Amino acid sequence: MWKEISERECGKIRNSLFTHRIKTTRISSLNISNHKDIISPHRGSINSLQVDLTEGRYLLSGASDASVAVYDVQRATDHEGGGVIEKHRSILVIDKQHEHGHKYAISSAIWYPVDTGLFITGSYDHYINVWDANTSQVVVNFKMPGKVYRTAMSSLATSHMLIAAGTEDVQVRLCDISSGAFAHTLSGHRDGVMSLEWSSSNEWVLFTGGCDGAIRFWDIRRAGCFKVLNQSHTQFGRRPQLVHSNTEKASTSKSSTAGQSSSGKGRIAQRKNVNGNSIKPSTTGKTSSQTKGSKQRLHPGMLSVQDRATAHYGIVTGLKATEDGMYLLSAGSDSRLRLWDVESGCNTLVNFEATRLQTTKPLQLAVSQDSDLVFVPCMSSLKAFDLWSGKSLFDFRAHYENVNCCWYNAQDQELYTGANDRQILVWSPPKYTSNEVDEMRKEQASGCDQDNWSD
Amino acid sequence: MEADDGENSRKVVALIEKAVDSTRPEVDPRVLKSIKYIVRNSDSELRIATRTLLSLMKRDHSQVRFLSMLIIDELFMRSKLFRTLIVENLDQLLSFSVGFKRNLPLPAPTAVASVLRSKAIEFLEKWNASFGIHYRKLRLGYEYLKNTLHYQFPNLRENAARAQQERRERELKTKEILMKKFENLTENINAIKEEIQSAVDEIAECLDIIRNKDDSMPIAPIDDEDFEEFRNSELREIRLDSLKEGERVQENSDNEIIFDALRELYKVLVTKHLAAVQEYLSVLTRVEVVNTRSRDSMLRQFIDIKNNIQSVKKRCEESGCSLRRTTSPEEDVIWEEGDLESFKKASDSKSGQDEVHASASNAHESRNEAPESSGQTSKENDKRYQADISSESDPLRNKLLAEAPLMNWGSFLDSWGSSQDILANQRGFDLDNHWGRVDLDAVIPAERIAELNVQATFYSEEPGEVQPCRAPLRNGQLCQRKDLRVCPFHGHIMPRDDDGNPIKQSSSDEELNLSVGGDLAEQLATQAVKNVRERDEKDAKQREIDRRAMKRAKLAKVREHNETVLKDAALASTSRSLYVGEETEASTQTKLSTRNKKESLATMLKRKETAKDRLSRKLLNARQRMQV
Repeated sequence: MWKEISERECGKIRNSLFTHRIKTTRISSLNISNHKDIISPHRGSINSLQVDLTEGRYLLSGASDASVAVYDVQRATDHEGGGVIEKHRSILVIDKQHEHGHKYAISSAIWYPVDTGLFITGSYDHYINVWDANTSQVVVNFKMPGKVYRTAMSSLATSHMLIAAGTEDVQVRLCDISSGAFAHTLSGHRDGVMSLEWSSSNEWVLFTGGCDGAIRFWDIRRAGCFKVLNQSHTQFGRRPQLVHSNTEKASTSKSSTAGQSSSGKGRIAQRKNVNGNSIKPSTTGKTSSQTKGSKQRLHPGMLSVQDRATAHYGIVTGLKATEDGMYLLSAGSDSRLRLWDVESGCNTLVNFEATRLQTTKPLQLAVSQDSDLVFVPCMSSLKAFDLWSGKSLFDFRAHYENVNCCWYNAQDQELYTGANDRQILVWSPPKYTSNEVDEMRKEQASGCDQDNWSD
Repeated sequence: MEADDGENSRKVVALIEKAVDSTRPEVDPRVLKSIKYIVRNSDSELRIATRTLLSLMKRDHSQVRFLSMLIIDELFMRSKLFRTLIVENLDQLLSFSVGFKRNLPLPAPTAVASVLRSKAIEFLEKWNASFGIHYRKLRLGYEYLKNTLHYQFPNLRENAARAQQERRERELKTKEILMKKFENLTENINAIKEEIQSAVDEIAECLDIIRNKDDSMPIAPIDDEDFEEFRNSELREIRLDSLKEGERVQENSDNEIIFDALRELYKVLVTKHLAAVQEYLSVLTRVEVVNTRSRDSMLRQFIDIKNNIQSVKKRCEESGCSLRRTTSPEEDVIWEEGDLESFKKASDSKSGQDEVHASASNAHESRNEAPESSGQTSKENDKRYQADISSESDPLRNKLLAEAPLMNWGSFLDSWGSSQDILANQRGFDLDNHWGRVDLDAVIPAERIAELNVQATFYSEEPGEVQPCRAPLRNGQLCQRKDLRVCPFHGHIMPRDDDGNPIKQSSSDEELNLSVGGDLAEQLATQAVKNVRERDEKDAKQREIDRRAMKRAKLAKVREHNETVLKDAALASTSRSLYVGEETEASTQTKLSTRNKKESLATMLKRKETAKDRLSRKLLNARQRMQV
């Protein structure tokens, strides 16, 4: 580490590379944290975890005893064992006793992406509640047609405040917080929707994975989905990154502009072409605009063959888009993980090592910074896979029952996991004691943890 | 070096497997010691030991798991590396030792499995208490078992802490009380001293007066002798006795007041002041104060006071104002009355008073004297006296008491043992509410009365203890069913030893039963002769066996001694030689006992045939027969 710092000092390595290296070493040394305990007040399995996106400080957890809690992960509420163990107690708990509290299990709890003043919970009692975090009162609520499996908000969105909700129902609904009404219903799935993910590069694009095994891509400005992923439609390996990032950038810029209004000439020409095609109602974001005509003609939504394509044999339990928005990782009840190229919609055929996944619950996956690692709950352990090779690198075992959710805190390189055994565990890189006082204290506290051979 | 490592690791594995291969409820301490010795030297061996132990925990035999768990605990409390390795796999270890996963229950011998579970839970609690702070996983496992699965932990530490706390509180409280007393004392010490001093002074004065008078009145006994003439002989005797005893100071009407005062003062001194001083002394010796000098000086003062009081007390006793004298004036008064009835009552009440007055020191004396002094002993007094002493003396009475039947209380006890006739129709009160003829001579003879008073006695069954069946059960316990003759599960109830094996009774009574038909007397005689002979033979045999056993034991002891000496020598040299010694011992032992040991481990798994099985089989057979 010192070598890197000196190199950075000399200007041998770039700033970003330096931070990347440090973060990578820290991630590779993740282990269960002995100095940070989150005291979970929940009396049921933890179904959802999220750290707020603005400060990276407040952890929100939703549990199946219809309770939701918020913790400060940076400042401990109290200490134990001579300051060795920091205890983080919940700073806010809402449970069944609350007058507007949920009646049944909370399946998803997410922060409002813009600030920490609001959070959203979806529950098996068919309601989605929007809470004011300061007063812990319900601001808006939405009645859904069935159990709510997942809710999602786009972290990029600047022009809409939509909660996408996946429920038992076949339709995905978009709930508008500002108006308090449903903005859209997206129909296409043939069964309930267990996983939802907004694109991390385009605020209009939503990915949904259903119990029918299909993953659908939606442009919320249009009716119908514009792509159904097919597991047999494959491409070998990912494309070279350089080319990729270029096209990606171009596409995002184009798509964003295309979203608002028409722009460049080539674009108009293409559009005409598309309109003339008449199979597809219009351009749908970057993908269609970038792909070739032959692809466009095969556009799903109309073609029943394509429309019935499946991404997994079984339920799609988890979806996670990479940071750059170019790849989508999906987990299914067939215990498979698949990495999809968002642009082409192809299965990249990355062979993730054999695991066993929970089949009945929606899973929450997490991706590390720079999308090197993906964290997947595999029964009672959490596994970290290399995203590009599919190798299982780490196996985090400490939970005694099935892990449901995990969240990677990119700011502190910490990982949080929630499981059926009602525990929220913190996985962190080893703590570097910065000053001598700390060291001394630690020495003292750990004095009794030494070899003790009597004979 | 490499080869050495390999050898060592093999040794570790072999040792652990040897330690685990036993049916006893603990690990052989020698083997354990050598395991610890080897493992301690290098980390690689420790790793191998960990791996071996964890794989042994997966064995399908609770006994093996139990013994490995014991070894794990030993190492866990000692080695840090071992702790880290074990904690990594704690969930596995717990599932194999506690068996909390439904799809992985503990394996076969159920008795051992339950012991294993409770032991594992106990260990987990211990580990968590001592090292939980350093290992998050340990804490997690503990919390999971405790809060999620609600296992009952023995809670040893907490209980001990609570007891400690209680004791400390109690001590604190007593200390506080002592302190308060001490403070009181320091405030009042002068008053106390004065009070005691005044009492002592008064006593001294009284004693002085008595002594003076005593000197001036040598004619007192002559007066007494004058009185004696019109008193009965018994009283005279007593008087003489008392005169013989009390040649010190005589009490009479002149110094009576002084004696009274002296007695009063004496009583106050002994019961109040002496007790108080003793208490103060105990307070002073127990109290813990900063300023020890004042305490010491006070202690000294009180010791002086106590000595003073005791000397005064002694003087009082010497001067004859001991407590038995307190009764003498009253006695005199009563004797002069001369009425038998009133005397009885008075002496009764007096003797009651006597006992009340009696202080512990001379209670015995007064008790013994009481019947003696009260001349014509009243019946009640006598009885009480006898009752008092009957417990220690009079074996005849005891014997009779043991034989005597218990009677319920009733009016018939009024005429118990009397042989008088009873007047029948004294008042002329006849039947049917009519006054009739009065026949003053009509009597009912005593025999008739006795006949009328015959008590019906009812047989009441003695609540006897029903013996439990005590047949061995599958879980290692004994059957606790209580039936009179036949246990429905284990058949006839018979005397059994602690393991539940039936004790064979001599078949003599059976034989007797068989031969009842013949000439009984002759049979009995021959039987008796036979019995005696048998017993003699048996005794002789037993003696022979004992002798042999003794010889063998002596030999074994010698051998054992030799072995230990050799082994200690080996231990003292090197680890290698230690191991070699172990090995040879192990090999010989295993050679000797592999067969039965292996068998025993296997047999532990085998299900014992229980009475239930037998019954079910019998039922099945019966049913088949029926069908046929």
